[in-house]
Amino acid sequence: MVFDKHRDTIEELLSRYPVKRSALLPLLNLAQREEGYVSQAAMREIAAILDLTLPQVFETATFYTMLSLKPIGTFHIQVCRSLMCALVGADDLLAWLKTHLEPGADGTTADRQFTVSAVECLGSCATGPVMQINDGYYERLTQAKVGRIVSDLKQTGDCSLKSGPFMMPERTDAAGAGAP
Amino acid sequence: MATSQQLVTVTIDGVRTQVPDGTLVIEAARQMGVMVPHFCYHPKLEPDANCRMCLVEIEKFPKLQTSCSTRVADGMVVRSSSAQVEAARQSVLELILGNHPLDCPVCDQGGRCDLQDFSHEYTPTAGRFKELKRVLPKQYLGPVIETQMNRCVSCMRCVRYCDEVMDAQALAAVGRGTLTQITHWADHELECDMCGGCIQICPVGAITSRLSMYDFRPWMLKRTDTICAYCGDGCQITVQQKDNQLIEVNSTLGAGRNNGDLCVRGYFGYHASTQAGRVRRPLMRQADGSLAESTWEDALEHVARQFLALRSTYGADAIGGCITARCTNEDMYLFQKFMRLVVGTNQIDSSARYGYINGVRALRRVQGTHRWTVRYEDIVQADGIMLVGTQLHAANPVTAIQVKQAVKRGGANLITLEALLPARSTVSNITTLARHHLTVQRGRFDAAILGLLKAVCDGNLIHEEIAGQAPQFVDAIRTRVAGVAWQVIQEQSGLSQTDCEAAVRTYAQAERAVLLVGQDVLRSLGGEGMVTNLLDLQMLTGHLRRPGSGLGCLAEENNEQGAVEMGVVAEYLPGPADLHDEGARAALAQTWGGGVPTGASATLVDMVSRAKTGSIKALFIVGENPVASLPPDAGVIEALESLEFVVCQELFLTDTARRAHVVLPACSVMEKDGTFTNTEGHVQRVRQSVDAWGESRPDWEMFSALSVLMDHPMEYADAKDILREIRGVVPGYTLLGPASMPPRVDEDTVARYVTRGFQDDLSRRYTLQPTSLPPSGSLSLRLVQSLYHSGKYSTRAKGLLEIQGEGRLQINTAGARRLGIEENDTVRLVNERGQAIVSVTLSDRVPDDVVWFPEHFDQAVRVLFASQVDTQTGVPVWKTTNVRLETVRECRSERQP
Amino acid sequence: MKAFEKILLRNMEQPGYTGSLADYERAGGYQALKKVLGGVSPAEVIETVKQSGLRGRGGAGFPTGVKWGFIPRDHPGPKYLCCNADESEPGTFKDRQLMERDPHQVLEGMAIACYAIGAQTAYIYIRGEFRLGATILRRAIDEARQAGHLGANLYGRGVTVNIYVHAGAGAYICGEETALLESLEGKRGKPRTKPPFPATHGLYQKPTVVNNVETLANVPHIVNRGGAWYAAIGAPPKSPGTRIFCLSGHVQRPGNYELPVNATFRDLIEDLGGGMRSDKPLKAFIPGGASAPFLTPDHLDVQLDFESVARAGSMSGSGGVTVMEEGTSMVWATLRLMEFFYHESCGKCTPCREGSAWIVQILQRILNKQGRQDDLHTLLDICGNIGGRTVCAFGDAEIAPVQSTLKYWRSEYEALIAEAGALTANRKAIPVLSV
Ligand SMILES: Cc1cc2nc3c(=O)[nH]c(=O)nc-3n(C[C@H](O)[C@H](O)[C@H](O)COP(=O)(O)O)c2cc1C
Ligand code: SF4
Ligand code: FES
Repeated sequence: MVFDKHRDTIEELLSRYPVKRSALLPLLNLAQREEGYVSQAAMREIAAILDLTLPQVFETATFYTMLSLKPIGTFHIQVCRSLMCALVGADDLLAWLKTHLEPGADGTTADRQFTVSAVECLGSCATGPVMQINDGYYERLTQAKVGRIVSDLKQTGDCSLKSGPFMMPERTDAAGAGAP
Repeated sequence: MATSQQLVTVTIDGVRTQVPDGTLVIEAARQMGVMVPHFCYHPKLEPDANCRMCLVEIEKFPKLQTSCSTRVADGMVVRSSSAQVEAARQSVLELILGNHPLDCPVCDQGGRCDLQDFSHEYTPTAGRFKELKRVLPKQYLGPVIETQMNRCVSCMRCVRYCDEVMDAQALAAVGRGTLTQITHWADHELECDMCGGCIQICPVGAITSRLSMYDFRPWMLKRTDTICAYCGDGCQITVQQKDNQLIEVNSTLGAGRNNGDLCVRGYFGYHASTQAGRVRRPLMRQADGSLAESTWEDALEHVARQFLALRSTYGADAIGGCITARCTNEDMYLFQKFMRLVVGTNQIDSSARYGYINGVRALRRVQGTHRWTVRYEDIVQADGIMLVGTQLHAANPVTAIQVKQAVKRGGANLITLEALLPARSTVSNITTLARHHLTVQRGRFDAAILGLLKAVCDGNLIHEEIAGQAPQFVDAIRTRVAGVAWQVIQEQSGLSQTDCEAAVRTYAQAERAVLLVGQDVLRSLGGEGMVTNLLDLQMLTGHLRRPGSGLGCLAEENNEQGAVEMGVVAEYLPGPADLHDEGARAALAQTWGGGVPTGASATLVDMVSRAKTGSIKALFIVGENPVASLPPDAGVIEALESLEFVVCQELFLTDTARRAHVVLPACSVMEKDGTFTNTEGHVQRVRQSVDAWGESRPDWEMFSALSVLMDHPMEYADAKDILREIRGVVPGYTLLGPASMPPRVDEDTVARYVTRGFQDDLSRRYTLQPTSLPPSGSLSLRLVQSLYHSGKYSTRAKGLLEIQGEGRLQINTAGARRLGIEENDTVRLVNERGQAIVSVTLSDRVPDDVVWFPEHFDQAVRVLFASQVDTQTGVPVWKTTNVRLETVRECRSERQP
Repeated sequence: MKAFEKILLRNMEQPGYTGSLADYERAGGYQALKKVLGGVSPAEVIETVKQSGLRGRGGAGFPTGVKWGFIPRDHPGPKYLCCNADESEPGTFKDRQLMERDPHQVLEGMAIACYAIGAQTAYIYIRGEFRLGATILRRAIDEARQAGHLGANLYGRGVTVNIYVHAGAGAYICGEETALLESLEGKRGKPRTKPPFPATHGLYQKPTVVNNVETLANVPHIVNRGGAWYAAIGAPPKSPGTRIFCLSGHVQRPGNYELPVNATFRDLIEDLGGGMRSDKPLKAFIPGGASAPFLTPDHLDVQLDFESVARAGSMSGSGGVTVMEEGTSMVWATLRLMEFFYHESCGKCTPCREGSAWIVQILQRILNKQGRQDDLHTLLDICGNIGGRTVCAFGDAEIAPVQSTLKYWRSEYEALIAEAGALTANRKAIPVLSV
C-alpha cells in the first residue's frame, strides 16, 4: 500500500479541511513523491481514503500538469519555455538537453535517469533561463551550467548550483544567499 | 437559488411577461415560446454556463449574458436575437465546428442533433477553419455505450447528469482544454448504473448506444409512448421501431412519472420479447407426449371442452388459475372475471402473492387505503425519508432518483435500514447518501423495526396528538417494546440502541416524512406484521396522517398494484374488496349479470397442494412460471404432473409451459394496449408499439374467446372497452396518468385500528423469533435483486445480458480475502439439499456474514433453497439459506476482472 | 527619480536579514497584529484598509477594504481567507520573493485579514512548483504558532487563526480566484460562473476572501502606520501605495523593484533596471504580465499606476514588466504567449478552449511562412469573439498579445504572409496540436 507509512501525515492532512475531498491534491502530490508518479494503485487508495469514486480522482489528477500518471525518470528536468525565458535563451537549453541526453519520445532517457520537458513560466523570469529539477530551481543558466548540473546529478545525485530563497536583484552580503 | 412565488415583470424580445422571481432567463424565454439555442443548459442540471451558446443581450449589462445562468429581475429587458447575439452564436458554432469531424452521415444522432440544427439555423455554410482538426480515437465505454469524442462539445451534461441526478460519479472529464475527453477512469471499462442518461442527455452524437448502432436514421423511426414493463416505478418510455423491429427506447423530459429519467432495464432492456424461442402458434400436447403447433380454433375449443368437462364431473373448484402481475389491468380483470363468472371458482392468485400482498393487507388494515398517500413529488419535497429493506437503487431505480433529488437538492435527511454496506462506487448506492445508515444483519428486519419502535418510546418521540387520541394504543406498544431487550435486538439485527435512537430522532423531527418499504421486508416471513409495525411507527411519530407524509410499499413487478386492485389475489375481489364483502359481491353481480361464486379461495401455494391432494384437477396459468420461481421442494412439478389438465398462456416455452397440455401464445407488452398501475398508484396507458409476434394474441382476447366457447360470452371491442367496465367497479381508474391528489388515510379505519384493531396480533408482532445463526463454518446465502435485471423476463434482453449475462456469487471483499478467495475464483456451494458451482465476484457492499446471488439467474443455485410459507398470508418465502463454501481452485475461470 | 521609502522589501534588503521570526520581530513584526487584537474592532480594521485605498495586487486591482466589507458580518458558520500564491502569470515573480524572503510579513497580513473578516481558517494556495517557498512558509507557520502569533486564542483575546499551506499541481488557471476555490475543494480548477461571488459563496459555498500575497503583505504596515499614511503614497486617490514590479527580458538588471506607482516605466526600466542589456534599443514592453497588451517605447513615460496604464491602452495587472529589444519578432513573441494560453485554458468555455487552439495554429502557420491573406482578419475576429464572452477573465487576457501586436506591429505579420505568398514550394502540414 502506497500510503501505509503516511498514516499520520494523512490524519493531519484530513484535519485541515472541513471537507475530505480538499485533501485530494495534497494526496496526489504525496503519491507522486512516493512513487515518482501517480499510480493506479495510489488512486484506488486515495479514492478509498476520501470516499470518492475513481473517476472523481482521475479527472482531478489529469487536470494538473505536474502530476504524471506514467513513470518518469529519476530527475525530472523541466525547462521554462515561456516568453520571458525564451527571450534570454531557454530554447538553447532545450536544444542542448535534447542532443546530449537524447530523451525518447516520452521525454525520458533510455536509462530512465532523466525526463526532459518544456514547461510554462516557472515564476523566475528575472533569472532566466530557468529550469526546475525535481524540487530544486536552477537559474540564470547557460549551456555550460546545464552540462555541469547534469554531470553532477549523474555522479552525486545532487548539484550545488541549486538556488536558495529567491531574491533579485541579489543582496551582496553573505547571509543573502542562505535560507532563513 | 430556488424560484420564489413572487412574480416579476420581464420583457423578452419586446414582449412583457410575468414569471416567478429567480427564474432563469432561458426558462422565462422558453415559457413565452422563445427558444434560446444552448448546449450545456439542461433543466435537470445546475447551470454551468460553459458552452456560451445561450448569450443574450440584457439592458444595463455591458457584456452579453448567458441566459442559462442569469436569473430574471424585475424590469429586466432581454434581447435574444440582436445582431450582436447572432454574431456571438455564429462564432460559438464556428468554433465548435472547427474541431468537429462533420461525420453526420454515420452519426446516430444525425437528424436530432442540436449542433446540426443550430448550425443549419445560424451559420453560413462555409466555415473559415482550415487548420488541422483534433483527432481522438472512438472508445467503447463498456458493452453498450460508445463515445466519439471528436463530436463532443464539452458541455459536460453527461458528467453532470451522472453526478447530480444519478449520484454515480462514473463519468470523468479528463485532460484539459481542447483535449478534454469524457471517459470512465484510466483505461477501465465503464462500470455504472448504465441508465443511459449520458446518451440521452448528450446534445450531439458524442455518446451513443451500441445496441442500435448504425441501424437507423432517426426520421425512419415510428414512435410509441408506452410504459416500461419491468419494475413498479412504471416509467413512460418511447419505443422506436423501424419495419416492426425494435430500434431503441428513450424517454422525454417532462413526460411520465420518470420525467425523462430511465434505468438500465428501461433503456437497454427492450429486446426481451423479441428473442427467438417466442411461441408463435398455439401448441397442443400430442398422443406421444410432445407439444405440436395447432390452430387457434382447435386449441381454444379443446381448452373450453376440457374446462366444461372437468367442471361437470368434479365441480368448478376442480379448476384454479394464476396470472402474472406483469399483465395489464385489462388482462387481469378479465382473467378473474373469467375464473369467477365463467368457470365459477374463487381459486385465483397472482405473483402479487410473492410479497406485495403483505403490504397491501397491512395498509388496508391500518389506514384503509392500500395505495400510497404520497407521490414522487412528496418524496422530492420531503425533509425526512426512511428506506427499509428496499435496495432502492437496484429494485426501483427511478424512485431512487426522487430520493437522491430530495437529499442532494433539497437537503432531506435520509435514513436507510438496508441489508447492505454503504460502500461508494460508480454504481450508485442509495445508502451512501444517508444521514443515518443502519446495516441490518441476516435480513432480520423484524428486529430492526422493533428497534426503531423501542427507540421512539424510550426517546419520548411519541407525537402528542396520538398520545392524546389513543392512550391505550400507545401504552400497549410501550409495554410491548419494554419487553424486548436492546441486547436481543442488537444480537439479531446488529443495530445498537444508539443507532436506532439517532435514526428515529431525525426521522421523528421531520415535517414531511416519507417511509418506503421494499422487498427485503415484503417478501419475508411475517412481512405483513412488519409493515403493520412500520405503520405503528408512522402513527406514533405523527407521520401517518400528515399531508406530504406517508408510507409506501414498493412493487417489484410492474403491475402488482394493479393485480391487487383487479382482484386477482385470493383474498380480494376487484376494488380491492374483501372476497366476502356482500356489497362488493352484489355490485359485481350487477355489472356482470351473474354472481360471484361462494366457493373457497386459494393462494398459489394452496393450489399447488390441492393439486397434489387431487382436489384441483386443472390449472390455468397465465404468464406465471411457478416451476422456475419456487424452489424444488415446493413440489410444483409433482403438482403439475398430477393434474389432468394444464393450460399456459405464455410468450416462451418456460419450465412450466413445457409441462402444459395446451400453450396459448400471448402478446408481449410491446404488442398490446391496456393500462398498468405503478407502485405510486398512477394508472398509465400502455400502447402497442410493434405488431403481434406470430399468431400471438393479447391475454384478454383469449379469455374472451374461451368465454364464448363456454357459453358465457364476455365480449369486448378492445382493451378500452374493458377499462370502461373496470371504471365501474374499481375506484381510481377514471383518470389515466398522474393522479392529481394521492388518497388520504381513512380516519374511521385508523380510529378502529388504534382502539381495538391493533390488539389482535400485537403479541405476535412485538415478539422476536430467536435468531437462527448459520451453523458454524457456513454462511447465509441470499438471492438478491440486480439493478440490471427484473425477474427472469429481463434475462432474455440481449442488451441486459451484455451488461450482466450470468449470476456470480458476490462476497464481501475483506471476508473473501480471509477465506483466500479472489475475484473470478470458482467455488462450490454445499448444503444438505445439494450443491452448486459458481464463480465469484468481490463486493464492498455485501455484509460480511452473507453472500449474495442474483435471483434472476438462480437456476444455478435453486436446489440449495427450501421454501417456507407464511402462515398468515400464504406468502411463499425462500430467498435465504445456509451454505458451506468450498474453493475449486484448479478450475479458476480465465476471465480477468 | 526622487527618493522614496520601500515598504515590502525593506526588511529583506537589510544585510543579514533571514526572514526568521526573530529577524521579523526585531524589525517590528507582529506589532500590527497585537495592536488590532488589543482593541481595534474588525470593522475599524476594514475601515483603515478602505481608507488606505490599497488595491489588489493580483491583477484585478480591486479595492481590498471594500472586498473585505462584502463579507456578511453576521453570517453564522465558518468564513475563509485564501491567500492567492499561485503566481503563474508569465513575467511575475514578486510573491515568490515575498514568501521566501519574508514569510512572516505575509502571515501577519493574513492573520489581520482573518480577524477583520471573522475567519478562523486561512489557506495559502501556492503553485506546486514553489516547493522551497512552501517549505519556508510551513516552517514560518510553525514558528509563529509556537510564539503564539497563530493558533487558538491569540494573545489571550479569544481569537483563533489557523493558516495552512495548500500546494497546487501545475495549472495557471488556478490563480483565478474561483478556480482556486474549486482546486482547493479537490476538483478540477475550473472557474465558477459569477454571481454568486466568493464574498457570499466561496470556499465550500461559505463567505470567502481571496487576496494576493503582495496585497496581504501590505496590511501590517497599513495597520501600523495608518490608512492616511498609505493613501498619501504613490498615485492617490485611486492608486495609492508602492508596488513591486517584476522586471524581466532584455534589461541590464532584471528583478523585483518596489517603487511608488507614480513613478514611470522609464524610471523602472532605465534607472532601476539599468536600461537595455545591449546596444539594441527598446522595441516593446509588456507592462503587467502576459495578460497585458504590449506597449511601445512611446509609452516609457507612462506612470505605473492602474489608471495611467489603462489610459495607455494596457493594464498594470500583476506588475510583471517584460522588456524586448529591437530585433525580437513580435509574431514569435505573440505565438509564445499564445501557446501558453492554449496550454493553460481550462477548457470550460467554447470560445477560449477552441479559440486559443485556432489562434495558435494560425500564428504557427504565419511564422512558418504559410500565412494567408485573410489570416489577420480572422485572428482579430476570433479575438473579438473571445473577449467578454467567457466565464473568467482568462478569455480577455489571452487576446491581449494578439490584438496589441497587431495594433503596433501589423507590418511584421504582413511581411511574413507576403513571404508565404511568394513561396510556391509545397507546404508540409503543421502537426496536430497536443498537450
Ligand atoms: C486567468 C487568471 C489568473 C490569475 N492568476 C492570479 C495569480 O496567479 N495570483 C493572484 O494573486 N491573482 C491571480 N488572478 C487574480 C485573481 O483572480 C484575484 O483577482 C486576486 O487573487 C484577488 O486578490 P487581490 O484582490 O489581492 O488582487 C488571476 C486572474 C485570472 C483571470
Ligand atoms: S475563459 Fe478559458 S480559462 Fe476561463 S473558464 Fe473559460 S475556458 Fe476556462
Ligand atoms: S447553455 Fe448557457 S452557456 Fe451553455
